[in-house]
Amino acid sequence: MIGGLMQSLGTHWDNLLGRGEAAVTVPPLDGALCPNRMLDEAVERFELADVDCLAEVSGTLMASAGDSVYALKGGKWSKRVAYEHTVACIAPIGLDALAVALLSGEIVIDGGAFDGRRYAASPDMACITAMAASGSSLFITNGSATNAADNWQLDLLQRNASGSIWRLDLETGTVTRIASGLAYPAGIVMDGDDLVYAEAWKHRLVRISQSGAGTPEVLYAELPGYPGRITAAADGYWLAAFAPRSQLVEFVLREPAYRRRMIAEVPQDFWIAPKLRSGRSFYEAMQGGGVKQLGLLKPWAPTMSAGLCVKLDSDFQPQLSLHSRADGATHGVTGVVEHQGCVFAAARGDGVVVSIALADLGEAS
Amino acid sequence: MTAILELRHGTKEYRGVPAVKDVSFTLKRGEVHALLGENGAGKSTLTKMLAGVVAPTSGEIWLDGEKTELATPLEALKRGIAMVYQETSLVPSLTVAQNLYLADAKHFHRLRGIYIAGQQFLQSLNFHVDPTALVSSLGAGQKQMVEIARAVHHNAQVIIFDEPTATLTPEEKHQFFSLVERLRTRGVSIIFISHALEEALQISDRITVMRDGQHVVTDDTSAFDREKIVQAMVGRSLSDELYGAGKDRKVRRARQKVLSVQNLSMGKAVRNTSFSVFAGQITGVFGLIGSGRTEAAKVVAGVLKRDTFHGGQVRLNGKPVRYRVPRPAVRDGIIYVTEDRKVEGFFETMSIAENIYLAAVAGGQTKSPFISMKEMRTIANEWTGMLNVKAINSDARVIELSGGNQQKVVVAKALVQKPKLVIFDEPTRGVDVGAIAEIHQLINRLADEGIAVMVISSYLPEILHLSDRILVCRQGRVVEEFAGHKADERTIMYAAVH
Repeated sequence: MIGGLMQSLGTHWDNLLGRGEAAVTVPPLDGALCPNRMLDEAVERFELADVDCLAEVSGTLMASAGDSVYALKGGKWSKRVAYEHTVACIAPIGLDALAVALLSGEIVIDGGAFDGRRYAASPDMACITAMAASGSSLFITNGSATNAADNWQLDLLQRNASGSIWRLDLETGTVTRIASGLAYPAGIVMDGDDLVYAEAWKHRLVRISQSGAGTPEVLYAELPGYPGRITAAADGYWLAAFAPRSQLVEFVLREPAYRRRMIAEVPQDFWIAPKLRSGRSFYEAMQGGGVKQLGLLKPWAPTMSAGLCVKLDSDFQPQLSLHSRADGATHGVTGVVEHQGCVFAAARGDGVVVSIALADLGEAS
Repeated sequence: MTAILELRHGTKEYRGVPAVKDVSFTLKRGEVHALLGENGAGKSTLTKMLAGVVAPTSGEIWLDGEKTELATPLEALKRGIAMVYQETSLVPSLTVAQNLYLADAKHFHRLRGIYIAGQQFLQSLNFHVDPTALVSSLGAGQKQMVEIARAVHHNAQVIIFDEPTATLTPEEKHQFFSLVERLRTRGVSIIFISHALEEALQISDRITVMRDGQHVVTDDTSAFDREKIVQAMVGRSLSDELYGAGKDRKVRRARQKVLSVQNLSMGKAVRNTSFSVFAGQITGVFGLIGSGRTEAAKVVAGVLKRDTFHGGQVRLNGKPVRYRVPRPAVRDGIIYVTEDRKVEGFFETMSIAENIYLAAVAGGQTKSPFISMKEMRTIANEWTGMLNVKAINSDARVIELSGGNQQKVVVAKALVQKPKLVIFDEPTRGVDVGAIAEIHQLINRLADEGIAVMVISSYLPEILHLSDRILVCRQGRVVEEFAGHKADERTIMYAAVH
């Protein structure tokens, strides 16, 4: 009892002084995450409005946008399939099949051994954010138990930790929950016999076993952004961080009464929250830092949105990063894959997929 | 314009080490002359010779066409040369007016009289400072104003300003520049030392650049731009032999993040700064004096305390830490190797062995729970041998050693504690060339062994030679990061002053 009382006093003391867990701080973008402009300087830019997720199937780059899946052919996007609901995410199954998750909670398989099958996911899976396949198992991250995937800002501001990870047996259609109580899992990738998922609201990557048994192992913590989808690369992994962290948002996240009023009274577009694209309306909160000179936004200005992809080594430690800074035009990167000697990044905030040759990345390291 | 003050072939040596070497400098009547250079370039020593603070080892000072000797600052003041120091020389327990009239024995005790006179005088300069206020109650900017007012009050014909604007707000700077303009029209000659190149370009008639204690160039301000000044400040040939190999070496890849400093604040010295230090890498930190490098490092090591409210966060291996004293930091593996070894680095009258053993005891690295002379000798011999400390034996007192060997003892004291993170602050300041190479080898070896190393230095070639990554500090925060193999002196200096 005395221990609990002391802990409570300590928490109040930290809240008063802005220390410990109540510290309003953001890890620096330095070392392997040192800012650059590589996403904006990419020569190859393929416009695709509302592009979200990328995957490589049968040597072709696929992208989801709105209710459709597109294929990149000859430098142009061609619509491959249109669905009745918005596509939540896509993921390759083996080399020749594509799993497509819809906002309705259904999962559709296109190609391969399970071609044409539709699976109704659990009713508890209303916010599918990412998938990863291994054999006949499809692992699915469900960001939130209460909010849909397009309402992720609300989930953050509510400080929810109701996300979960599920295993779908493609043979039988059975769905099993293997982890729960997660702070918005937004990306997942196979790591040998284990799974590694991105827990966005806790800014970290975590490894668990396929059965969910054992203690989760934190591989990479204290990211300066909100980590999202992860894909395997030739010699490691790519991580897309869909929004940057900022001190202002961290401060707001520690003020429950303020958040409640903001959610109730302010239109969502103008919330003080991370965004896939910011700066399009002067109604947005300025953060005291819309650093402009002669009408030009400075790259180091505090921002609610940015572009960030991180190349991770096989131990999930950062090797290099690709950025689009406050003044850039490749914000809100929600998917990144390697394809034909290039890395492709889908910037949903700006509706564009950019391509950078892997050979050019030595400059960024 | 005729010359009012000249230094001809001036040299100043401290214990045989020249701080200024054969420099000739001319100040014309009624001009504003900016004196620029890196830290340690010899600017302050040069101006101190002109203000009678130090006597030149050789060379001549000419005032108004006559050869003169300025034995004391008071004598220089009587001859019309006043110096305004970066660190104010005011008496904090006296009032503003008393400080203004401090050298004026006739008026000093007539308080009412000096308050009225002081009020009028400060108003004439447009300085909003209360003459009855105690100097200790003033902010840094106001103290600087009083210092400037005192120089003007003595009707000096030559005023030397050493970094006068470093502590001023933009409004105060504007007032200061107006004052300089008024002084210039009254025929007062001004020497202006600053790291703010824009200010020098804006305010001065001529610019002199110094480097390594030597004169590099003097010309009209119109002949300079920022790029040219930076080039003149950093272009260096003397040290190429010692530091030239740095470009060709292989940069080490970062291992895990050992230290993460997030939005750290400490008064006006450290302002919301963030940076990381990685294992197996040397992180170089460059910045001009007052850029907050040392203060940030001292907060990390528990030597200084961060702000009480929202002072930021320091994470060691992912865990938040907050040290009130250095001891727990040492226990956690953080070692800060001080820039001021004589005051903070060792016990000068104790032997080498005692100093090293004390550090081992403090770091909990001794085998015996009691003081053991045998263990002391073993540890001392091991480290003096490893670091090649040149002394008769390990019983020699540290004060008897050369600067380089003293520094090696300080480093031995640090390493005997088996650190995970070592912060070297100016590791080769006042160290001879041979010892510099040995200390650099040692720092490189530590990084190769996987220890996280941070090197703070004002000497750009050293930073470039050692660092795998370079952080540049300005105005209390890290403003730029460069990869060690891609950076050059000009870009780093540009980031530090821009």
